[in-house]
Amino acid sequence: MKPHLTERELIEYEFKLASDIQAEKAAEHLAECRQCREYLEQLKRKFAALDLLREEIKVSDDLISQVVEQTPRPVQPRVVSFRKPAWIGAAAAVLVVALLLVARLGEDVMEERKFAKGPSEPAEKLRSELTAETQIVSAEDLAKDAATRTTFALARKEKEAGKYLERAAIGEAAADVVPEKPPFAPASAIELVVLPRRDKVQLTIYNSADLTLVRERRNLTLKKGWNWLQFMWANTLIDPTSLSLELLENTDKIEIQQLVFPARLRELGRWLIRSETSGQVPFEITYFTSGLSWRAFYMGTLSQDEKTMRLQGYVRVGNNSGEDYEKAQTRLVVGKVHILDQIAELAKRQYPYGRPEVRVDFDKDLKVGEELDRSAWYGAAFGQVGQIVDELRRKEIIKEGLSEYFLYTIEGTETIADKWGKRLLSFEAEDIKVESLYKYDQERWGSETIRFVKFANDEEHNLGDTPIPNGEVKIYGQADNEGHLSYVGGTSVKYIPVDEEVELNLGPARLAKAEPKLMDFKTDNFMFDRRGNIAGWDEIRTWKIEITNTRTLPIEIEITRGFGTAYWTLQFDDQEVSYEKHDATHARFRVNLEPRSKRTFGYTVTTYHGVREETLAEKN
Amino acid sequence: METTDKSLIDAHRQGDKTAFEELLRRHGDSVLGYLMRMSGNREQAEDLFQETFKRVHEKAHTFRGTGFKSWLFTIATRVAVDGLRRRRRLQVVSLNQKLDCANGSGQESGAVVVVDNSCEPSQEAIRAEQTQQVRQAVELLPAKQRATLVLAYYQQLSYPEVAEVLGCSIGTVKTQMYRALRTLAQRLPDISGGEK
Ligand SMILES: [Zn+2]
Repeated sequence: MKPHLTERELIEYEFKLASDIQAEKAAEHLAECRQCREYLEQLKRKFAALDLLREEIKVSDDLISQVVEQTPRPVQPRVVSFRKPAWIGAAAAVLVVALLLVARLGEDVMEERKFAKGPSEPAEKLRSELTAETQIVSAEDLAKDAATRTTFALARKEKEAGKYLERAAIGEAAADVVPEKPPFAPASAIELVVLPRRDKVQLTIYNSADLTLVRERRNLTLKKGWNWLQFMWANTLIDPTSLSLELLENTDKIEIQQLVFPARLRELGRWLIRSETSGQVPFEITYFTSGLSWRAFYMGTLSQDEKTMRLQGYVRVGNNSGEDYEKAQTRLVVGKVHILDQIAELAKRQYPYGRPEVRVDFDKDLKVGEELDRSAWYGAAFGQVGQIVDELRRKEIIKEGLSEYFLYTIEGTETIADKWGKRLLSFEAEDIKVESLYKYDQERWGSETIRFVKFANDEEHNLGDTPIPNGEVKIYGQADNEGHLSYVGGTSVKYIPVDEEVELNLGPARLAKAEPKLMDFKTDNFMFDRRGNIAGWDEIRTWKIEITNTRTLPIEIEITRGFGTAYWTLQFDDQEVSYEKHDATHARFRVNLEPRSKRTFGYTVTTYHGVREETLAEKN
Repeated sequence: METTDKSLIDAHRQGDKTAFEELLRRHGDSVLGYLMRMSGNREQAEDLFQETFKRVHEKAHTFRGTGFKSWLFTIATRVAVDGLRRRRRLQVVSLNQKLDCANGSGQESGAVVVVDNSCEPSQEAIRAEQTQQVRQAVELLPAKQRATLVLAYYQQLSYPEVAEVLGCSIGTVKTQMYRALRTLAQRLPDISGGEK
C-alpha cells in the first residue's frame, strides 16, 4: 500500500483545497485504508468545533432602519446608466426598478431637504473645524482649565467633583432641540463634565512591555445637548493616544463625536459628546498606562524528611504609574506572551500632542516574543520577602488558560495606590514530592558541593494547573521540631511550563562534602618518533574521593570528574557506587550516604596522549 | 420574478429608498455574520456594518454588474480591516474579555469565569466555554487567514469568490485556508468527548 496520507493532505482533501488529481488519489487511498479514514474522522470531529460559531446572526430591524436613515440621497439622482451594455441582460429587472422609481418620485423630493440638514454632515468638515478652533484656545480658557485641573484632576477629589457635576447639570437649561452644530470649545468651565469617580476599574498588567490596560467604568451626568468630557493625566504615565471612550447605554441617543487634544493645553483631552437626553449614563474608558508591574516569588518549605515540599507563590504588584487604583480588579499576564511589538513601542513613547491616531500594522501576525523580562521593578522590593508573615489578606489568584499565555485574575478587588507595592498569595501547594541531590563538579563549582531540589510542574507533584511565572525562590527547611525554619538557599526560576521539570540550585551545601585526593600518578608507554622525540605517552592517576555527610538525613551525591581529553579509560570497582560515562571527557558517580556518615571510593583513570590516542581508538 | 442585486443597486442610485433597504435585508445577515466573526464582538460588528453599507452607497457606481456578493464582501473586508486596525491594539490586549458579547449571555465583559472543579459544570456552561474557545481561536488567526476562513467556511463563498474579495489568487486563498486550518487543528477545543 502507498504511504499514508499526511495531515495536510487530509485537510486539503476535506476542505477541497487539493487539485483534482490529488483529491482523486486521496479518495482512492482512503477507500482502502482504514487508518487514514479514522484519522480523517478524527480531524472532522476536531473541525466540527467550528460549527459552534455558526449561530444564526440576524440583522435587527433597528439596525436596518438606522443604516437606511443614515444613507443620504445619491447626489445626482439623474445619472441613469441604462445604456451600459452589461445592463441589457437585466431588462426585466430594470423595468421593475423603473416602476418603483415612478411610484416614489414624489415623496423623495420632499424628503431631500430634511436629509441635507441631517446629522450626517460630513465628519471631515466637522473635524477640521474642531481642530482649527482648538488651536486658538484663549488665554482665559487656559486659566480656567488650570483651575479645573487642580480641583478635579482625574476626579481624585470626589466631593468637589460631585458638587461640580451638580452645577454642570443645572448649568444650562435644557433646550428642546440639540443644535446640530457642535460647539468649538467649552464656553466656560461649567460646560465641562469632569470625569467623576470610577465605579469599577480593571487592570491587566503585562510585565513584558511595561504596559497596563486600564478599563474603567464611570457614570457620567450628561445634559441634553453638547457636552465636553475632560480627561487629565498630568503626573501620570497614562498614554493619552490610547484613550477610548465607549458608551454602555443609550447608544441611540448619545454620540461620542470626537476626542480633542487642545493644542495649547497640555495633559488633557476632551471628548465632545452629543446627547439627546440628560441624566446619568455609564461609560467605559480604556487606556494604557505604564508604571505598573508585577513580579512573582516563591517560598518553598521542605518537610522534615525533605522528601516533600510546600510551595507558596506570591505576586507583588507595584505601582509607579502616578495614579491610584482603588479597588481594582487586577489581572496579570504570565508566560511567553504574544505581544505586538507596537504595543511595547507605545509604552515607551512620550505624549504626542495632536490627533490620537495610532496605526498598528494589521497584517503583521502576532509575534511570539521571547520571554522578556525587562521589568524595571524586578528585584526592587525583594528584600522583604524573607519574612514569612502573611500580613495581607490571602486572595487566591484565579488562573485562566489562554492559548499561549496565562492570565491570572486576582480574586476580588485590591487597592493599588501609587508608589506602593502589594503582596498577594497566588497559590499554595502541599506535599510536592521533591528529589534532593547534591552535586560536586570541580570544573563548575570549585570545591563546593551544591544542593539541588528537583520537582516538576505537573499533577503528580500537586502542581500543573498553570505555568509558573519566573521569579525568585527561597527554600526553607525545618530547623527543629517546633516548626522553626532555617534558610536553605535561594535562586531564581525561569518560567516553568506545565509538565516541565525544574531543578533549583540552592547554592553551596555546608553539610555535604566531597574531597578528591590524588593518591598516585605515573606515566607509561612512552612512544618516540624517528628522531627520538616523545610522540606519545599514557598518564595514570589513582584518585580517592572522600564524601562526608554531616546531616541527620541520608543524602545522594553526584560527583562529576573531568579528564581534559576524550582519550581515557577508567578502572573502577565499587559495587555501591554507580558510575557512568557522562560525556566524552567526563565521568559521573552517584553515591548514597547514611546520616552522619563518611565513605570513600576510588578509581584509576588512564589518559592517552599524542600518538597513544590512536591505540585507544584502535581498542574501541 | 426576482429582482437582481444589480437592479436594486441601480434603483438605489436613482434614489429609490426601498431598493437599498431590500439590499440590506437580502445580504445583511450574511454581512453582519461575517463582520461578527471578524471582530468577535457584536457592537463593533454593527458599527462596521453601518460603515460597510455607507460605503456600498458611496461606491454604488463602481459596481460592475456581476458578482454582487464578492463586491459587497470586498467592501466589508476593507471596512473590517480598517476598523479593526484602529481597534486592534485594544483588541489584542483585551484578551478574551469581549468575546462573550455575541451570544448575549448576561455575563459582564471582562468578568472571569471561575470553573469550580468540585461540581460538575453544566452542559450549557461547557458549550459556552467551548464556543468562546473557538471564537478566540478564530480571532487569533492573522487577518488574512481569518478573512479567508470566515468567507469560505461560514459565509460559504467559493474559493474563486474569496480570491476576488481578498484581491489575490485562488492559490493564495487555498494556502491561507490551509494555514488557518492547520493552526485551528491545534487550538480548537475537543468537543466530541464528554469526559473533559
Ligand atoms: Zn493510509
